[in-house]
Amino acid sequence: MRLRLGTVLATGALVLLSVYVLFPFGWMLVTALKTEQEALRIPSTWWPHQPTVDAFVVMWTRKNYGLYFLNSTVISLSTAVLSSAVGALAAYGFSRFPLRGGSFLMGFILTTQMLPGVLLVGPYFRVLTALGLYDTRTGLVIAFLTICLPFATWMMKGFIDGVPRELDEAARVDGCGWLGIFTRVVLPLSLPGLVATTLFAFLLAWGDLLWVSTLTHSESMVTVTLAIARTVQEFYVNWPELMAGALIGGLPSIALYLALQRWFVQGLTAGAVKG
Amino acid sequence: MPDASRAAAWDGPRRGFRIREPAVGYLFVAPAVGLLVAVLVYPALTTLRLSFSVPGGLGARHYIQLLSDPLFWQVVRQTAVFVVASVGAHLLLGLGAALAVAGPIPARGLFRVVALLPWVVPDVVAGIVWKWILNPLYGVLNDLLLAAGLIAQPLEWLTRPGLAPLSVILANVWRGFPFVMVILLAGLQAIPQDLYEAASLDGAGPWARFRFVTLPGLRKVLVVALALDTIWEVRRFGLVQAMTGGGPGTLTEVLSTQVFKQYFHFYRFEYASAMAVAMTVLLLAVSLPYVRMIMQEE
Amino acid sequence: MTRTGGRVVAASFVAALVVVLAPAIRAGEAVTLRFSNWHLVETVWGRSLREAIRIFESRNPGIRIVPEPISYAEKEARYQAECAARRMPDVVKLHNFSLAMFFELGCAADLTPFVQKESPDFLKSWYEFPIKSLTYRGRLMAMPGDYMSMVLIYNRELFRAAGLDPNRPPRTWEEFREYGRRLTRDTDGDGRVDQWGFSMPASKNPGLPLRVLPIVWSFGADFLTPDGRRSAMNTPEFREAFRFIVELATVDRVVPPGVTTFGPQDVRIQMAHRRIAMKIGSGWTYPIVNAINPQLNAMEVLEAAPMPAGRRRVTAAWLSGWIMSPHTAHPEAAWRFIKFLTSKETEKKFFEDNRVISSRKDVNVLPMVKMDKFSRVIVQELQHARLEPQIKEWPEIFDAFTTALQEAMTGAKPWERALLDGHTRVEGILARR
Repeated sequence: MRLRLGTVLATGALVLLSVYVLFPFGWMLVTALKTEQEALRIPSTWWPHQPTVDAFVVMWTRKNYGLYFLNSTVISLSTAVLSSAVGALAAYGFSRFPLRGGSFLMGFILTTQMLPGVLLVGPYFRVLTALGLYDTRTGLVIAFLTICLPFATWMMKGFIDGVPRELDEAARVDGCGWLGIFTRVVLPLSLPGLVATTLFAFLLAWGDLLWVSTLTHSESMVTVTLAIARTVQEFYVNWPELMAGALIGGLPSIALYLALQRWFVQGLTAGAVKG
Repeated sequence: MPDASRAAAWDGPRRGFRIREPAVGYLFVAPAVGLLVAVLVYPALTTLRLSFSVPGGLGARHYIQLLSDPLFWQVVRQTAVFVVASVGAHLLLGLGAALAVAGPIPARGLFRVVALLPWVVPDVVAGIVWKWILNPLYGVLNDLLLAAGLIAQPLEWLTRPGLAPLSVILANVWRGFPFVMVILLAGLQAIPQDLYEAASLDGAGPWARFRFVTLPGLRKVLVVALALDTIWEVRRFGLVQAMTGGGPGTLTEVLSTQVFKQYFHFYRFEYASAMAVAMTVLLLAVSLPYVRMIMQEE
Repeated sequence: MTRTGGRVVAASFVAALVVVLAPAIRAGEAVTLRFSNWHLVETVWGRSLREAIRIFESRNPGIRIVPEPISYAEKEARYQAECAARRMPDVVKLHNFSLAMFFELGCAADLTPFVQKESPDFLKSWYEFPIKSLTYRGRLMAMPGDYMSMVLIYNRELFRAAGLDPNRPPRTWEEFREYGRRLTRDTDGDGRVDQWGFSMPASKNPGLPLRVLPIVWSFGADFLTPDGRRSAMNTPEFREAFRFIVELATVDRVVPPGVTTFGPQDVRIQMAHRRIAMKIGSGWTYPIVNAINPQLNAMEVLEAAPMPAGRRRVTAAWLSGWIMSPHTAHPEAAWRFIKFLTSKETEKKFFEDNRVISSRKDVNVLPMVKMDKFSRVIVQELQHARLEPQIKEWPEIFDAFTTALQEAMTGAKPWERALLDGHTRVEGILARR
């Protein structure tokens, strides 16, 4: 009985939370389906009187969103994969070896997250230009690594610490080297964490505005986030179009989450079945 | 592996098993550290040098100016409130949501997706969307509250001095809690189910199971999530800039918007650098406990 | 082989390579100029500029222009970073709000040598004032682009509906306030005000000075003392002007709620959708408002009038300048392009397409400018127009003022206190000079 009460309370709380979460999305959709005239009515109409998908069509045809999605996807995926891989290796090192200055290095890695991006823009600009990487996807991936790699290292340290060391020992007895322990024991057991880390590294890179807008200049390098933000800064800001863009811009990330989700809820489901 | 030894491994000390080959460890750590050194040392040194450069040499003038500017201290206070409120709410909502969707509730798959959604929205876009919802003329929130009879007059969410900081925090809580939720959800996976079973056999109720199994099991990832979230919220820029630009007056100004303004609007590169260094030092102080916790051996 | 011998060999190798490759370079690649301009992202202006680029390219087959769109808000930050890395686009457009800053930072090429190679009368086609304003330490650092005075834009239909004579715009600030009160109404009878007399972009944005300066100046006030060393924000005239602006929001309530969050575009949207009856604008206002809502019939319904007068008859000037990157690899080509962009022919095209007024006298005497009901007023008011102080600290000084304005408008501080704090802050900024 008590268990059922808990379930009811939890469900109720989740419903409330969902209202908070979904309300802005609902309003984005309603606005996106309005004509601009209707979007600017006082008081606002809660449902479009003349629903139209014009805003979506215009967003898509007036600008080259196909290319923007390609850019965002390539850049964010490369960043996410690279930073998770390198970060996981480092986290394994920090977690399993008594490194001299380990705390200092972990602190250093965290410190790299602390400098405001604004200050990094100027120096990065000079470095990337000197390397011939200004206005390239590679240059952006390097810039994003500075955010995503420290993040991934810390995240994976948290997760790898959760993998019991006795399993390392067992694998070692079975003849595994350090790399073998990493790939066959530690990584599989911290997979939920690795997947979550990759997902957030992806989202961190996807959502950046500052660096995309300062470290690239050509139309062929524009990302989805930059395109949406520019809609606001331009002279013809149109709320339905903007909301349509914001909604469409989130779809790839949601798809990625859906695709990855089973990796970090898998264990849970197994446990629930067993219990 | 027998259950008993696994449980022992979980809550027992790991000191018995220590690796004696640090050299190998450095190899694992090297790529990450090397990469970060390569990409960050030059910009960091540039910032540091800039912050001390005065006409004709080096000096601490910008720091003196900074520390004697009441606006700086006001912004530090505002940043602190913004960060503490945001991270606190992220933790509460994130932990609650993670525990709830981990439990046996209907449609939990759906809830899991729903609860991630805000993080999919780039923070600057989130700021724009919330500004639209709170718009004093066409905003839907006022209309809803008026219709429900909860308010008598439209509220000026982003311009009333007492309300504006709250509105920004409201949007930032919305945007940020999914991170904590997903991390904790992933962390929950790593807690062996048999620990709960063992605890139940010992007669532990839900609270005791949470207190003595879940919380210790989540400790590491919780520290990581809070450390990263704290740093991100101190640096949070796009959302605040898009919603209020720091206004009305300077009431929602935070350190990151100030640094941006000093650098790109006022072209005070040296002063902005000094502010950034000060911000980094403050953050370091705040995050030292996190570093100690994450490096601690159980 | 001696070291010198090695050098000779290397040098001749390089020379041989150059000889072999040079014709290929010349034949295959035209000079490429990077051209950045915020107008490129706008529908009407963007089309107009791209057409102009095509005309230029067809006449200069050796030069290719690569447009780099950028948003209005991003441009200074990006050019600044690019300039520091010696990678600024070859030609960019800026407005007077930040031009002084770019001159001071060394991010604009000196155009004087190019001008000197033209005919002696070359600069005579322009008004003196813009040329003088773009001259920094005796050198011409930018070629003037559009040049406009700020005027009062109003909706004659809303005037008529409120019982006001649409042919008699307010002439004094007292009248303006009175008009504002009558134009602030509940038009659909639901008990909620949904139309306001006046609106302005009082968020922190580079468009605000153009709307505030005419008011401040016409009250006989100014931000700085005549020598530019001290703040003049504590004079009785300034207090009067400040109080007037603040009370439009707090006492008269003739501006929409949330005015301190509006940018120029919010105000244009309000005008396009008949939410406001009056705003301060210029030549660009009509085509943009028209594009937002063609049903408004902006050409018929909107009118331009001189700014209401106080102690002085004065308004603010908008001035843009074309600057050349100091690091460009093709200064001659870049100069040709700038010359083309500022030629009578192109400026005439920009007027036709975008209704922006030229800084060239020979364009503004054309019948098409003199007959246009907006442009006529804007050109005529140029004689009363002034520019904001051309000092490096201006953006910061105005930011301090805007802080005070917002604090007073939202009631965070009483207006006297807010203004005094702003004044103190500006004194501090000037003391650093």
